[in-house]
Amino acid sequence: MDEFQEILQDFLIESFELIEQLDQDLVELESRPDDLDLLNRIFRVAHTIKGASSFLNFDVLTHLTHHMENLLNMARHGDLEIEPNVMDVILESIDLMKALLVRIRDSGEDSGLEISGCVARLDAVANGETGAPAEAPKVPEPEPVAVVAAAKSDDEPDYSAMSDAEVEAEIERLLAVRQAEDAAKRSVKHESKPQTEEEIDYENLSDAEVEAEIERLLAIRQAEDAAKRAAKGGSSAPAAQPASVPEPKVQPAPEPKAAPAPVAASTPPPVPAAAPKPAAAPAPRKTEPKEDGENRGGAAVEQTIRVDVKRLDHLMNLIGELVLGKNRLIKINDDVEERYEGEAFLEELNQVVSIVSLVTTDLQIAVMKTRMLPIGKVFNKFPRMIRDLSRELNKKIELEITGEDTELDKSIVEEIGDPLVHIIRNSCDHGIETPQVRLAAGKEETGTIRLKAYHEGNHIVIQIIDDGKGLDIEMLKSKSVEKGIITEKEADMMSEKEAFGLIFRPGFSTAAQVTSVSGRGVGMDVVKTNIEKLNGMIDIDSELGQGTSMKLKIPLTLAIIQALLVGVQEEYYAIPLASVLETVRISKDEIYTVESRSVMRLRDEVLSLVHIGDIFEVERVFDNNEHAYVVVLGLAESKIGLIVDSLVGQEEIVIKSLGEYLKGIEGIAGATIRGDGGVTLIVDVAALMQMAKSVKSTVGQENNEKKGRSGSKNSASDYCVMIVDDSKTDRTIMRKSIEPLGITLIEATDGVEALNILKQGDHNFDAMLIDIEMPRMDGYTLAAEIKKYNKYKNMPLIAVTSRNGKADRMRGVESGMVEYITKPYSPEYLMNVVKRNIKFNEGL
Amino acid sequence: MSEKLQQIINKQHKSLAGDDTKIEEVIQLVGFIVGDEEFSVPILSIQEIIKPISWTRVPQTPPYILGVFNLRGSVIPLIDLRSRFGLEVMKHTEDTRFIVMKNGDDVAGFVIDRLTEAIRLPKRDVGPAPETISTEESMIDGVGKQADRIVTILKVRKLLERNF
Repeated sequence: MDEFQEILQDFLIESFELIEQLDQDLVELESRPDDLDLLNRIFRVAHTIKGASSFLNFDVLTHLTHHMENLLNMARHGDLEIEPNVMDVILESIDLMKALLVRIRDSGEDSGLEISGCVARLDAVANGETGAPAEAPKVPEPEPVAVVAAAKSDDEPDYSAMSDAEVEAEIERLLAVRQAEDAAKRSVKHESKPQTEEEIDYENLSDAEVEAEIERLLAIRQAEDAAKRAAKGGSSAPAAQPASVPEPKVQPAPEPKAAPAPVAASTPPPVPAAAPKPAAAPAPRKTEPKEDGENRGGAAVEQTIRVDVKRLDHLMNLIGELVLGKNRLIKINDDVEERYEGEAFLEELNQVVSIVSLVTTDLQIAVMKTRMLPIGKVFNKFPRMIRDLSRELNKKIELEITGEDTELDKSIVEEIGDPLVHIIRNSCDHGIETPQVRLAAGKEETGTIRLKAYHEGNHIVIQIIDDGKGLDIEMLKSKSVEKGIITEKEADMMSEKEAFGLIFRPGFSTAAQVTSVSGRGVGMDVVKTNIEKLNGMIDIDSELGQGTSMKLKIPLTLAIIQALLVGVQEEYYAIPLASVLETVRISKDEIYTVESRSVMRLRDEVLSLVHIGDIFEVERVFDNNEHAYVVVLGLAESKIGLIVDSLVGQEEIVIKSLGEYLKGIEGIAGATIRGDGGVTLIVDVAALMQMAKSVKSTVGQENNEKKGRSGSKNSASDYCVMIVDDSKTDRTIMRKSIEPLGITLIEATDGVEALNILKQGDHNFDAMLIDIEMPRMDGYTLAAEIKKYNKYKNMPLIAVTSRNGKADRMRGVESGMVEYITKPYSPEYLMNVVKRNIKFNEGL
Repeated sequence: MSEKLQQIINKQHKSLAGDDTKIEEVIQLVGFIVGDEEFSVPILSIQEIIKPISWTRVPQTPPYILGVFNLRGSVIPLIDLRSRFGLEVMKHTEDTRFIVMKNGDDVAGFVIDRLTEAIRLPKRDVGPAPETISTEESMIDGVGKQADRIVTILKVRKLLERNF
């Protein structure tokens, strides 16, 4: 049973892979119906699946694929022309096949789906009923199946001619006659080709006569096929004809290789002689691998191994831990370097650290690469989609794909499919015009959608370009106003890019009516959400009448990212670098307030600003810096400036979830562990942009607020001053001097204690009186320590000391003291100094 | 002599047997103080107990969630039980501990004032929570009675449940 399961799994994986390729091949086939390569490949898929499913006892699937194989085999031998309606039936059967495979995957059996209808249609087409009635009679009849087909279709045209329109019948008849002539001419041409082949054969013949014999017979057979094919090619054939010319030339070369494989001597007679069906089965097998081998060279030799994604994920997690360890090691190394500067072992430590970090980075890249898939996996389904859509919408659309080999992480490949479907659908429905409109506009009848993928640094860029009618900004605006998405005022103020961004708003739709393709105003909204989820950006460019280009920029991987670390007060946050466009340092004067929002001018753009502290409820104690750093964030199609206190730097971080308990905190995408072992939160840029809209900005109002705060001191005891001195007497003298003011006094006996009191934050100190000579930590060190705290940067520190040398004063100023009082002093003097420094309000 | 030996053996057997029956009925708890009261949680729901380490504040959360901390590479939420129980917040002291509790995949650290001891309590000494507290909403699983005191047993599942 287990063995069976294993085989089944392999079968399913193989089948789904084959089918993926199949869709693309089929669509291509429609444009190049004479490409034997393609036909062979498609046939082989049906054949392989049929073979495997019959072995696994999936009767329904076997039945279906058997009929598909039949039909495709006829096409392969040129007994059937691939026309759009034939194609429809084939595509239908392939969809059905997919559905069956999905059923098998989910439930382990292939029953429950009705296939008889499809099988009937397949047979009907195979018998030429709906296929190409007019051409069927011209088919030369070397085989029984074709005879039946011919016989049946012989009747058909009569019926249709009689019942339908006589004119049509006449046209068909004329066409048929014409085609017959063509075919005759072509077969004459072909007859000359087999001869050249034979000449080549004779050259080969020197090697092995038997092989040459097979060769010759096969070549003849091929020529026959080609002739038949040519006969059916009809008016489209001339173009394709030259293409088929090289074919026979290519064939001889591989053939000798193939022939010996299946026991050369014994097989020759049956191959050419047998009815096409039995012969067909081995035939493609022989020709196909060879051609594959020729085209791809070493592809066949390439060794692959299937690995469960879970194992890769686990590996990636372990690498993540390793990266964190590396970060930590680097930090420790830096610290050690500082402390033991010049020591011999440092050099060695340095080397080890850099090797470890180098190898870790390489390892990370290597593992990332194993998770990479070509984006072709996603692109493959679009030719089929475009085909279906263009038929449905009655438009002529061509799809050009480039860069399908571009690789990116599996998890992203999975996420990117849906947005692309929506964008391409949108381009087909709204972008590309109908052929009439296009012609009237002086464009080519056929619209083109180009799908490009390429790497750009640590990103992959996917571009979807159509040459349709482009986005009409005025129309976008008026529609949005109409639907209540924006106000008229907003519409007036919008820049071009912002207006393009309107198409991503939920509920927005320009379609006059809801079609099965679009018009519900959901699709593009989904695009935006999905791209944001991937930390990607969208850039739209459009010119009215010329077309639209949409550029998706997506980071290569999700688990380990580059981040910009920023500081606000005592806290740090990590912002995914993928969303950071630039950072600028501005002075506070450059911040303007427009309708209670802070904005700044960045080159020729107006950028709205928000303070990170407002978003994350950071208590802002002191913020007297004249300058601010603005991190310009871009996501999808929007931009915002985030004001932070400091920029710490760039670091590689590993995203960790906050766990079930804290899941879904707005604005936080996760957490990471830094080199020092602390946890730093990662900003969710998409959510932050949302939050920025509702957060009341306080950027411009800080100063007022501060005034309000100092004004909020309602009584003298709201003022608080700390006295730091190791001598009880001195403390008492100071206390006695200031006490008359009625302000709150806290005492500390040395620097360490003072610092602890500050750290506890029980009091909001307005000033500190500091003795210089103290045990454990002296006044200078204390002052320097205090200045390290953002919160206390601007607190006045007053030195009270018996040292009165000039050097002492200088040191005091250097360490951040604002006043220097030498003992002894008069109580009034001290009181006045304190009053001045705490801006004591006499009125209280 | 052999009689005495027999007695001892009997005695041992008895006590052993007694222990066996006890083990079946005994629950093991870890007791700790929050505010003025002693609480406890089943010992098996405790992953580890650590001394306070630094943590990172997480915005948009209720005040009782202090933030997250790094426990050997895992990011774990930290909850202050004092403020969770509506008590006044106090500075951490020498005795303050983080108890890391787990329930299935849910893990969180809880700040407590001080540990007391591991408690072995016969099941029959555990009474239900006072009736005035509705059973579903309450964080109290039951009340353990010991000779000189009463220990409140907390529902770990409820503690680890997000309620905001």
